[in-house]
Amino acid sequence: MSHRRPKSPNMQNYRPQLTSVLSFGHRLSGVALSLGAFGLAGWLMAGASGQDAFGSAQALLLSVPGRIALFLVTLALFYHLCNGVRHLVWDSGRGFELRAIYAGGWTVVGTSLILALALWTWWPA
Amino acid sequence: MIVDRSDEVPRLKWPRRFPVPRNLGVAVHSRIAEGKSWPAPEGATRIATLRIYRFDPDGMAGPRLDTFRVDLDDCGPMLLDALIWIKSRIDTTLTFRHSCREGVCGSCAMTIDGTNWTACTRAMADLAQPAMIFPLANLPVIKDLVPDQSHLFAQYEMIEPWLHAETPAPERERLQSPRERAALDGYYECILCFCCTSGCPSHWWNGDRFLGPATLLQAWRWLADSRDEGRGERLDALEDPFRLYRCHTILNCTRTCPRGLNPGRAIAEIKKKMIERQG
Repeated sequence: MSHRRPKSPNMQNYRPQLTSVLSFGHRLSGVALSLGAFGLAGWLMAGASGQDAFGSAQALLLSVPGRIALFLVTLALFYHLCNGVRHLVWDSGRGFELRAIYAGGWTVVGTSLILALALWTWWPA
Repeated sequence: MIVDRSDEVPRLKWPRRFPVPRNLGVAVHSRIAEGKSWPAPEGATRIATLRIYRFDPDGMAGPRLDTFRVDLDDCGPMLLDALIWIKSRIDTTLTFRHSCREGVCGSCAMTIDGTNWTACTRAMADLAQPAMIFPLANLPVIKDLVPDQSHLFAQYEMIEPWLHAETPAPERERLQSPRERAALDGYYECILCFCCTSGCPSHWWNGDRFLGPATLLQAWRWLADSRDEGRGERLDALEDPFRLYRCHTILNCTRTCPRGLNPGRAIAEIKKKMIERQG
């Protein structure tokens, strides 16, 4: 053999499907929430260290990039929560029919979007 | 948007693959170059274009993507027919496995337009244009569309896919009630084409230690068998952070099974048994 056996492509060639995309999303939102937890800790520490620090933190959070980041964290929170419930249903051995997998997936997408938007619409700012 | 059966062809034209460069993270010897493009056969009116992954183990070059044009009026209706047509009319070196041509042997499993399926049960009419034909994902390639599955079969052997019995063999066969037999429905039909394992992202990243959906479905087939007496040892062998628990219920497996089986559910049943025996 004059050439090493190549490996056929996986991620680079496989079709993104609701199944895999939502799973990657679950992992990604989990990472986002971990980072968000650092942000939350930083915000609390700023609040504990006095008015000036808290003021700067508030200014940062309420800036446009800050609000976008906050929105993404709330979206990650609701998505991770809803998809977590979907995983609990699977852990009970139910919901494995393809129709249920897809219907549940789209429900999670819709519900997490609605919850995040509702929070930002009605939260007394 | 809602998928009812695994044989439904994806309807969304976009995205056909993840928005990453084709050779992202791919070792140099696995990178795919542009290959040869064959002209349409003379006089053909209905033409389908197939982009096919080629690799010649005797040549010096790495894998390439060749373009073939098939005369649909001169060949059968399925992708396997088109591959055979190409082999006999255009390029005799095109290499692929096939046997039963009716979806019960699993030999011709390949990645077709980005999902795994058997070429003999995928109609040409259901392919994208141009259609993308690759060997089963994430496997070493022996030649063209023929992947090396020895690792997958070694994993299958690990779950000891035969009856474990302590009790002495009876005069005649070990009996099962119709209800006990029905517990194997949806599991015994697996043809080991490995479409599911090859389509499982968890197996892509951890395939050296994670057993993958096909093997785990087979594991459940033996755990669910009323005649089998090795349940404890079978569960012991699977109680491992990688062998079983690298399954994160992505469910690409259930979406892609050409037999319409449900490896995802089989794995959930194994996990339930693990919990049950902890009491």
